[in-house]
Amino acid sequence: MADAALSSPANRAAPAKARVQNVQAPLWRNALFVLPFLVVFVALLVVPLVWGIWLSLHKADAFSSGRFVGFANYVRLYNDKIFWQAIGNTFYFVLLTVPALAVIGLMLALALNSRTRTAAVLRTVFFASSVLSVTIVTLIWRIVFVPGFGLLATVYGWFGAAPPAFLSDPDLVMIAIAIATIWWCIGLPMMLFLSALQQIPGDIYEAAALDNANRWRTFRYITLPSIKRTFVLVVVIQIVLQFQLFGQAKLMTNGGPNNVSKPMVLYIYEAAFTKWDLGLGAAASEVLFVLILIAAMVQFLVSRRKGESA
Amino acid sequence: MIHTLRTSFLAATAACALAGGLLASPAFAATELTFQRFFGACDADFGSNTDVSKAVGECGIITSMVNKFNADNPDIHVAVTTVEWPGYDQLTAQFAAGDPPDIVTIHHSALSDYQTKGLLLPLDDLLAANGIKPADFTDASRNGVTKDGKIYGLPIDNWTMLFHINMDLFKQAGLVDASGKPILPKSVDELLAQAKQFKEKTGKPYLIQNLANETALYTRNLYTYLFQQNSDFFADPTKVKINTPEAKKVVEMYKAIFDQGDTTKDLDYAASINAFLAGEGGVHLNGTWMIGDYNASAEKPGTALNKGGYAVYPYPQLFSGKHAQYADGHSLAVSQKDRSEEQTAAIGKFLKFMADHDFDWSRTGHLPAMKAVLDSAAFKALPHRDTVAPIAELGTSLPGAVQRQFAIQDIIGQEMSAAITGQKEVDASLADMESRINELLANL
Repeated sequence: MADAALSSPANRAAPAKARVQNVQAPLWRNALFVLPFLVVFVALLVVPLVWGIWLSLHKADAFSSGRFVGFANYVRLYNDKIFWQAIGNTFYFVLLTVPALAVIGLMLALALNSRTRTAAVLRTVFFASSVLSVTIVTLIWRIVFVPGFGLLATVYGWFGAAPPAFLSDPDLVMIAIAIATIWWCIGLPMMLFLSALQQIPGDIYEAAALDNANRWRTFRYITLPSIKRTFVLVVVIQIVLQFQLFGQAKLMTNGGPNNVSKPMVLYIYEAAFTKWDLGLGAAASEVLFVLILIAAMVQFLVSRRKGESA
Repeated sequence: MIHTLRTSFLAATAACALAGGLLASPAFAATELTFQRFFGACDADFGSNTDVSKAVGECGIITSMVNKFNADNPDIHVAVTTVEWPGYDQLTAQFAAGDPPDIVTIHHSALSDYQTKGLLLPLDDLLAANGIKPADFTDASRNGVTKDGKIYGLPIDNWTMLFHINMDLFKQAGLVDASGKPILPKSVDELLAQAKQFKEKTGKPYLIQNLANETALYTRNLYTYLFQQNSDFFADPTKVKINTPEAKKVVEMYKAIFDQGDTTKDLDYAASINAFLAGEGGVHLNGTWMIGDYNASAEKPGTALNKGGYAVYPYPQLFSGKHAQYADGHSLAVSQKDRSEEQTAAIGKFLKFMADHDFDWSRTGHLPAMKAVLDSAAFKALPHRDTVAPIAELGTSLPGAVQRQFAIQDIIGQEMSAAITGQKEVDASLADMESRINELLANL
């Protein structure tokens, strides 16, 4: 009773207090601000994701939703050598491209991180390839690699040699696709590294110079730690991007010879559109989704733990 | 002043709107048809050409034919979309999205994929209304487009693969007989011996093949030499039996050619054509559609084919079975969708035009689909038709009920390529080929 008497003034004051707090507190109507994004996100990402999972449990083609088959499509994937090969190819491609993109991107950024006109021009040049469509990129690299008449064949021809068969040698095709991809995608990592480099305060470098630190030590102990987060960002973005390799492989080699350059997305495309086996394609897409998710999470967690222990 | 300006602006706007309205009104509008085709794009050379007789090659002739149809029929406009060969992935997606083109090029071998799903319009009535009878077609063409007793495409040709021959190099190799005809092999051993002789004498490979990430050529070669051994590998259209001694013989033959260096190895399709035009090998394995282009090149002074001449023959009979080689054909199919009477009539008119111009199309090198053209003196007088005439009898297709023939072609091509280039053992390739095709067909 006494408690009630004591608390009553507070109770009376509560409405006024609540009104003051509400200014800061979350309001449901604020959701309206994110609604436009949420609608697009749900319609274009969440719904297709759920629909894809549903499709993957059905025997479906492009013209009918088919019948429920449970996990049969996943079992078929498990037993399909070509699917396993496509997964292997995709990982191999990520391994070929992501470290190269991160390292070359960083080196370019370091080299071009100055206020000179030459650096500005070169930055534009290196970024320029990023604006091209995949069709143009593969056309350019086909002209380089095509045997007999290509740029490479011409150059080798001067020395009376035959060029390596980049578009048909099973050992070289993935490397050819990786070269074209690195050339195409190098702009974004370079720009991200440049923006990170430009945020490192200059006085740290001055202090290092006063301490007679050489360039390697400056790079190792100042630059690298300062851009660590960007490095992780670049690697994660590129892993997610390069896992989705499709256009270059489709247009340069069509997955050949004998599937050695067939990535998962091309496998999915062929299952759904060439074989009309939409359920199988959807099941393969779900596997790809999970793989990308795991790879990005592992990368993210590993680098975060490293960051904390440092 | 401002008032006057505003008035005249309004008047001008009204006039524009009125003019626009008139132009858009049905009385003035041409019936729009969409026509989706492969055969490539060549607008730079033939984009405005309406004189079909001046056009050369598949792309030139079909482009000029459509131009002529549009010029002759101001009330109809056929808008062309060109797709990368064969364009079925795109077509399937268009059908799935409910937005297919009105008229589309489809191989006879791919018709059943779409016909079994009810996506194509049976054309019997429309063709009859335009005076085209099934009896007007050659047997091969009619059989190619007839499914369940109905016609699902206007056949425009039959095609097959051929030995396109550089006679200059054949002479150098001593592979020309007294009458000036090329000497072609009659058995596998003869083929390998002649290829060896060719290379020793000319220093160049006997065969020009597009083997780089190619599937169609391998598959057509395999089918041809399986037919020649009487192998009925698709006795059951839903289950293939291709892991056989017959298939092994064919694959080992091509592997021997590859291993001996008697073929080009890393060329893609376009590069293989360039290589043949540049005289870099004796025989180009390519289709009927190249006869027109190669003949044109042979008539041009200074070219490699002009030097000693160009000849073209059916694939040689290398085995003791039936005389046969793989053949297919092109057709114009019409999608099943809601249309006005004018649109349907316009489609009929277009198909009639294409059938009437089948001779022009046969100048590409294809066998005509119309019996009257095949029997005509004009067709027989076209260059090289005397040597390739037997293909009308030799041409053999897969059973029409076999579905997903293009997906099957990919599997056969991949496995054959792996076996021939040494990526895989021949037996393992054939086993995988069979199980992959049957997995595909079991999941239609």
